Amino acid sequence: MISKKQCIEVLNAGLSSGADYCEIFIEDKVSKSILVENGKVESSTIVQTHGAGIRLLKELQSVYGYTNDVSFKSLKTLADSLSNSFSGKRVLSVENLKIKNVKNNHPIERPFLSVPSSEVVAYLKKGEKVIREFDPKIVRSRAAIASSHSKISIVTSKGIIFNDEKERNRLLLMSIAADQGKIETAFEGPGALAGFEYFYKNIDIEALAKKCAETSIKFLYAKECPSGRMPVVIGNAFGGVLFHEACGHPLEATSVAKNLSVMSGKLGEKIASDVVTAIDDGTIGNEWGSNNIDDEGNPTQKTVLIKDGILTNYLIDDFNGRRMGMKGNGASRRESYKYEPTSRMSNTYIAAGKSTPEEIIAATKLGLYAKSFAGGSVNPTTGEFNFGCSEAYIIRDGKIAEPVRGASLIGSGKEILKNIDMVGNDLVLSQGMCGSVSGSIPVDVGQPTIRLSEITVGGNGGELK
Amino acid sequence: MRLNDKKFFELAKENKFEAADLYLHRSYSLSVSIFHKEVSSFTQSDSYLVVARGIVNGKFGTVTTEAIDKNTPEFLINSIKDTATIVESDDPSIIFKGSEKYHKKNLFDKNIVGKPISEKIDLLLEIEKRLLAYDKRINEVATLSYDEGISESQLSNSYGLKLKDKTASYDFVAEVTAKDGDEVRTGFKVFASIKDGEFDVDKFVSDVANDALKRLGAKQCKSKKYPVVFDQSTTASLLKAYLSNIDAEEVQKKSSMFIGKLHQQIASKKLTVLENPLLKNYYFRYFDDEGVATNKKFLIKKGNLETYLYTLETAAKDGVEPTGNGYRGGGKTHAGIVNIVVKPGRKSEEEILSKINEGVYITELHGMHAGMNAQSGNFSLQAEGFMIRDGKLAEPLSLITVAGNLVDVFMGIKDVANNSKFLIESGVTTPSIYVKKLSVTGE
Repeated sequence: MISKKQCIEVLNAGLSSGADYCEIFIEDKVSKSILVENGKVESSTIVQTHGAGIRLLKELQSVYGYTNDVSFKSLKTLADSLSNSFSGKRVLSVENLKIKNVKNNHPIERPFLSVPSSEVVAYLKKGEKVIREFDPKIVRSRAAIASSHSKISIVTSKGIIFNDEKERNRLLLMSIAADQGKIETAFEGPGALAGFEYFYKNIDIEALAKKCAETSIKFLYAKECPSGRMPVVIGNAFGGVLFHEACGHPLEATSVAKNLSVMSGKLGEKIASDVVTAIDDGTIGNEWGSNNIDDEGNPTQKTVLIKDGILTNYLIDDFNGRRMGMKGNGASRRESYKYEPTSRMSNTYIAAGKSTPEEIIAATKLGLYAKSFAGGSVNPTTGEFNFGCSEAYIIRDGKIAEPVRGASLIGSGKEILKNIDMVGNDLVLSQGMCGSVSGSIPVDVGQPTIRLSEITVGGNGGELK
Repeated sequence: MRLNDKKFFELAKENKFEAADLYLHRSYSLSVSIFHKEVSSFTQSDSYLVVARGIVNGKFGTVTTEAIDKNTPEFLINSIKDTATIVESDDPSIIFKGSEKYHKKNLFDKNIVGKPISEKIDLLLEIEKRLLAYDKRINEVATLSYDEGISESQLSNSYGLKLKDKTASYDFVAEVTAKDGDEVRTGFKVFASIKDGEFDVDKFVSDVANDALKRLGAKQCKSKKYPVVFDQSTTASLLKAYLSNIDAEEVQKKSSMFIGKLHQQIASKKLTVLENPLLKNYYFRYFDDEGVATNKKFLIKKGNLETYLYTLETAAKDGVEPTGNGYRGGGKTHAGIVNIVVKPGRKSEEEILSKINEGVYITELHGMHAGMNAQSGNFSLQAEGFMIRDGKLAEPLSLITVAGNLVDVFMGIKDVANNSKFLIESGVTTPSIYVKKLSVTGE
């Protein structure tokens, strides 16, 4: 590890040609995974991530470099080389650095690496067995834990060294059912910014495994989803991926700052129906998408993005904030030292409303209940998005009826926000990975049950009758 | 600092590993982006990666690290022991002694790297200017970047096998927006190559601009079943998803739709597909991640499934030879395909279109990771493209979905065009295909 004095020297080398900001991001991470399949431990692997990135900013220009040689000599060479990109005179030097050990708001009681492998394996087998024995048509049953423990130092020309330490653990359950050439897969993946204790405190692995197995069997024989425009009730929890794609990405400064987002220049405007309030909150205790500080060293925040249908804020990193004339709000994130940080989501959700989920279903005569999704994607410039449903049912006469498979939803963000006409009171968050310019990062999506008065549903089952 | 690999193999022997291997990868890269006539970002990198595996009491242990110092060999050995001791699976664990023959080729073009970056910045500035001047409806160059790099890899093992590869590559990426009234569309292209001097500025500028312009005025079509023609890139996406089922592991574990389909018909007789990892392009590989020599081979011949894809482990289980398709992904080795080639048909795309009165021509499929269930073959995907009217391409379409099952698509191929194209995004060389009716949802 390089010393404080050496850090000052590296920062000053970076600042030598006119950069107005310099930052060194040093990362050490150990990830370990264990996979149980069909009753036996199938594989286990350890991955050690180690490296540093140096970023120089000069007004609206950024220069970035990374290496996994974190010695003083290597970082000094990198800073010298990066500073060659600018040809001005020094405007800033760093005299001293203050060490700030960031307070961990997300306690780790039992780090994964301290838990005996035998205990982890026994835990996984408990869940895997429930899937395997649920039905003879289940041909593959998998249970895995993926864990990572990281130590990060962010050294900035603002004169501070932030030291942060965090751990994430995630359980992955999968059930694959097959019968007469038909195959159906179901998946569950809860996780937290916490140690191994999370699984005992928050997860009933056997109940979750049963749900996973049940879903794979139920949809094996489901009919194909009808298509056309129809009312759609979106389930809570992972249903929030709809807001994440359709509105969350277009609210990131990454595209807003360059005026490339459908949401650019819309602050204070009515962009959603009155029942919609949406929030990004990176501070929620032990939540999968939370962090103590963002990857520029700013504390994470709770940011209200949409209040009663009015656009109130964006997700902003310091660098894109320069172009927008706005301050960063703790939303700067990256997968690893190999990526320059940029504005990203953390735990993003639609706030709870007043209706009960039963009322919402009962109010829908004929439509689709899209309970959960496999994911989706969006073009932030046009706002056009798509989602693939992993679990969907037809609603008939206000009741949930037969399951259907192969449903997708498509539309544009602005249309969809205005078509939300009912919001439930059953807000739940759900965990996933989000991929974008600064890599793949852990995020939560979430929402209560909501209803869209109308959206285009794609499927191979003909007209809805 | 370099890894002391001799020390690693000595320690593996001392610790009674049955066999061990090491994969080393070093990459150097440089990239520059332009926004509004200025360099908006510049990135350089030098990174190193080691993946070590060992067989302990018949079980594999695996570790990956980026931290190299004098303690690394011990760390690797301990991590392999730590992970191998908990493995219970009875699957055969094999480290490969080597193939008889390797089709090694030196494709490293040293002229790609080392030129002054200022030349590339000037070129990007020129491209930005020309994109904006191409058509007055092109109103923004959202992304414009150049990357170059060198990638070196080496696989060695305790049997003395040592295989090396080194390539240099470069790419240009651009995204523009086109605006007409209130309507905004985006266009996007990637050019990548391992040969210096192949980049054609004029072609790139017109490809990117037209990719956005062609979408202006796009609408939804009426929902119904249409005859569908998939262009080269969408054919490639569907084919890759279909071929994911020929992984022998999926077949052995009963989660593939191709169980019992070896030498049976899985596609129309019009379809013949090969894998050719030895094609001298961006994806060239002469050995897989397990050290098995790669070869050109038929995957689908006149509609019949010719082979499953084997790693060392799955080949041993079926008692067959490995096929050179073992690629690393996460902890275990899985089957992968490098350079898929579809045999072109006789007719031109125009001839094929000319026989369709009313149909849909698909140029984009979005959200493959969510709307495509490759295992069951069911898909429902957001699409873009054009109406086909009276045998010709007509108005552009957006916000439509196309839904069906991969088996129906590939069994239902009516014709394969002769307009083969190498697609850098997917590593597939394919012409367009014409398939029987599929459900299209729009209005």
